[in-house]
Amino acid sequence: MNTFFLLIGIGMCVLVLGCLFRVTYGPTILNRAAGISAVGTKTLVILMIIGVLHGRIEMFVDISMVYALLNFVGCIVLAKYLERAGDI
Amino acid sequence: MIQKSDDVIVRTVARSLMPFILIYGLYVVMHGHYSPGGGFQGGVILAAGFVLLTVTQGIERTRQHMSQKTACVISSVGLLIYAGIGALCLILGGRYLDYGRLSQLLQVDQPTARSLGILGVEIGVALGVMAVMCIIFFSIFAADETE
Amino acid sequence: MIVKELISAVFLSAGFFFFFTATLGLLRLPDFYSRLHATGKGDTLAVLFSMVGLAVYEGLSITSIKILLIAVFMFLAQPTATHAISRAAFRCHIQPFTR
Repeated sequence: MNTFFLLIGIGMCVLVLGCLFRVTYGPTILNRAAGISAVGTKTLVILMIIGVLHGRIEMFVDISMVYALLNFVGCIVLAKYLERAGDI
Repeated sequence: MIQKSDDVIVRTVARSLMPFILIYGLYVVMHGHYSPGGGFQGGVILAAGFVLLTVTQGIERTRQHMSQKTACVISSVGLLIYAGIGALCLILGGRYLDYGRLSQLLQVDQPTARSLGILGVEIGVALGVMAVMCIIFFSIFAADETE
Repeated sequence: MIVKELISAVFLSAGFFFFFTATLGLLRLPDFYSRLHATGKGDTLAVLFSMVGLAVYEGLSITSIKILLIAVFMFLAQPTATHAISRAAFRCHIQPFTR
């Protein structure tokens, strides 16, 4: 079972690299914002899988919740700023 | 001047999620000895809740809950709790922040006194960090025009 | 128990499949609004499946209830963030893709 979790974790890391392509080459800022939101969502699943592999998932659940919260707040603040400043 | 967000969905969801964010910040402060957390992390999460309220509801609505004066008072109270516990240990005959001396005041044994002392210090730190981050956010992004 | 591990593996594989298609959509679709569709919906569903799979793997304890609370929070918060981004794009006059 640990091998299965390890394979899923490595696959998710490859998907994060794919999302980072959109973050660097996105033509406008809003593309990059969507990419960062996707990277944050995948990161929190990777954190839980690392917790299962170490055998101590209780610690990593709290960290994942904090990261989901901060991802949400950051996305809303960025969208509100870009409404006024215009999309460069 | 941070204006109110003119979108019903964002306003309603942010207002509904605010109590849970604040409660989660308190949970992170209280469980600092067992899971990742403690004073600084919990204070930042509490401040993030207030930032979310400001960005979606506007600065006027948030001033009713956390004005400049309230934030200054809370940061001072947090610092007073931290320094007060240290000074209390000095008064009872030990060194500064020597929590073992609190056992004769609280009538508990030594390890429990140390644990309670650390918890009290973390609460003070969380209050101070939350208030200072709110002050920084308000003074950078919402310049006072009326006063 | 073999049944618990099998159910958790099925849910995690479904979550990985939805993450994969969402990333593929984010990379290959021609327009900003369609990319936002892909990542907004696909990522939310994938997180839901992954969290349910991990909660089943843990069994019934306080940790699995916390994991399900993360899933409920992501179910509420991720579509709101997507809506905020797409509204900002609409206010900046980004034109949809017409061919």
